[in-house]
Amino acid sequence: MIKWHDLAFYRGDKLILDSVSGQLAKGELVLLSGINGSGKTTLLNLIGGALLPSSGTLTLNGKELQEIRIQDQAKIRSIAPQNRTFNMGFKVRELLNLQPANRKALSTDEIIEELGVVEILDSSILELSLGQQQKVSLAITLIQEADFYLLDEPFSAQDATSVRRILRLLQEVAKTKGLMVVSHNTDHLDANFDREIKLS
Amino acid sequence: MKRSYLYLFSFVLLVILFILSLQIGVIHLQTPLIKLIGKNSGVDATTVWQIRFPRAMGALLVGAALGVAGAIAQGIFRNPLAEPALIGLTSGATLGTIAVISTGVAEFGSRTNVESAILFAALSAFLIYFLAPQKGFGFLITGIAISATLTAIAGVMISISSKPGVQAISFWNFGSLALLNSQIIKVIAPFIEVGFILALFVSRKLDIYSLGDNSARFMGINPKAVRVWAIIALAFLIGPSVSAVGAIAFVGLLVPHIVRLLIGPSHRKMVGLSAIIGADLLLLADLLARTIFQPHEIPLGLITSLIGAPVLILLLRTKNAMWVSHD
Repeated sequence: MIKWHDLAFYRGDKLILDSVSGQLAKGELVLLSGINGSGKTTLLNLIGGALLPSSGTLTLNGKELQEIRIQDQAKIRSIAPQNRTFNMGFKVRELLNLQPANRKALSTDEIIEELGVVEILDSSILELSLGQQQKVSLAITLIQEADFYLLDEPFSAQDATSVRRILRLLQEVAKTKGLMVVSHNTDHLDANFDREIKLS
Repeated sequence: MKRSYLYLFSFVLLVILFILSLQIGVIHLQTPLIKLIGKNSGVDATTVWQIRFPRAMGALLVGAALGVAGAIAQGIFRNPLAEPALIGLTSGATLGTIAVISTGVAEFGSRTNVESAILFAALSAFLIYFLAPQKGFGFLITGIAISATLTAIAGVMISISSKPGVQAISFWNFGSLALLNSQIIKVIAPFIEVGFILALFVSRKLDIYSLGDNSARFMGINPKAVRVWAIIALAFLIGPSVSAVGAIAFVGLLVPHIVRLLIGPSHRKMVGLSAIIGADLLLLADLLARTIFQPHEIPLGLITSLIGAPVLILLLRTKNAMWVSHD
């Protein structure tokens, strides 16, 4: 379980996240929604340890985040950032092999297949469209073996068909794992989620 | 398969260049090189083993160190412009060398000299790291500014030093292998080897690191720790190199670009080939430096600039250049 309680974050003296509480359990697919600037990405960065909370508590599987080593945090949760920096010409295949084999999810092949990444395995990431790069980024996150998956705006560059396909995959993954998807524009999608967390 | 051919080819080239470096020079050998193996007396044997051999070993070691350092530096700053010289390591090592020599604390090429160069290289890189604003080109611009300052301080120390012979160091400052001897090679080799081991260790993390700080953290790698270890590795590669042969331009910048075009951007794979191609390049440059205008010798750093800069521009114009600019 990922649990956050009264979590607040200030950047300078600007309040970005105002004492939010919530949790993510295994077996659920949760939508994290809210308008621009409501702190969705900040919450993900806090859970990812990229930012330190100004106040409040944050636990992964019952343990304070700060007390877990970075490499062990990555065994509990895997996060797809909104924009991953692809600035070198890695082959997609290389990017999917960045994690050692023993850190990979059992269903790696299935995930790559479902995301439609198989056809572009030998392409350079720099030659791909934004939508394809986003799928690769998603694949990198989902094949990292973990209990929880947090995805920041995974649909922003996807067409309707791809969105449906990705959602089906996420529902499949959510049978055994906990998933939280950040999206600011999901009016027509919320029926696909078990519940919604709204930030304001 | 392709990669093993590249290794083989660049290694064979290394052997050929090394033999040529022993064979060619101002003094024409009367005895064939093969017959000099194991001999210590006579003009030919002395020329080959006392003068040319340490020099070729130096070119090999320093070339490999600069090549690997370039690959690590570009990876760590996620920037194809990041040469060790641009991020303060070279100027730090220069100052570290000048400081001990001009004050008479240590002799040129001594262990203390090398240790001081490593220490100053690391300190200047960390200084830049902590002073630089965490955005855009802040790091590189801070690096250029600090480098200029350190170089100027070194220049002042040379000017006011009362130690005889310190002014002669300006030749060294352009980059030259002329001052190398087997004693210096013995002193710098172990430090550079430590640098290689650290670089191999760091390079394993650099591929994940290349996806950005947050991304790396989410994948289980601490980006700050990677940077600290990389700076230490770079100091061990650059410090001894600069202390022995001065600042040699463009090798650290050029080699990673060549290697990336050949085998792609994976740092894990780049380190080995960068070492061999760096050594190839410096052996070749040194051969040219001491033969094209015989009997005059040109500082090696001038040759690497003269060849390196145009080659770099050509490489960047190829369609396979594997780096996007963020303009």
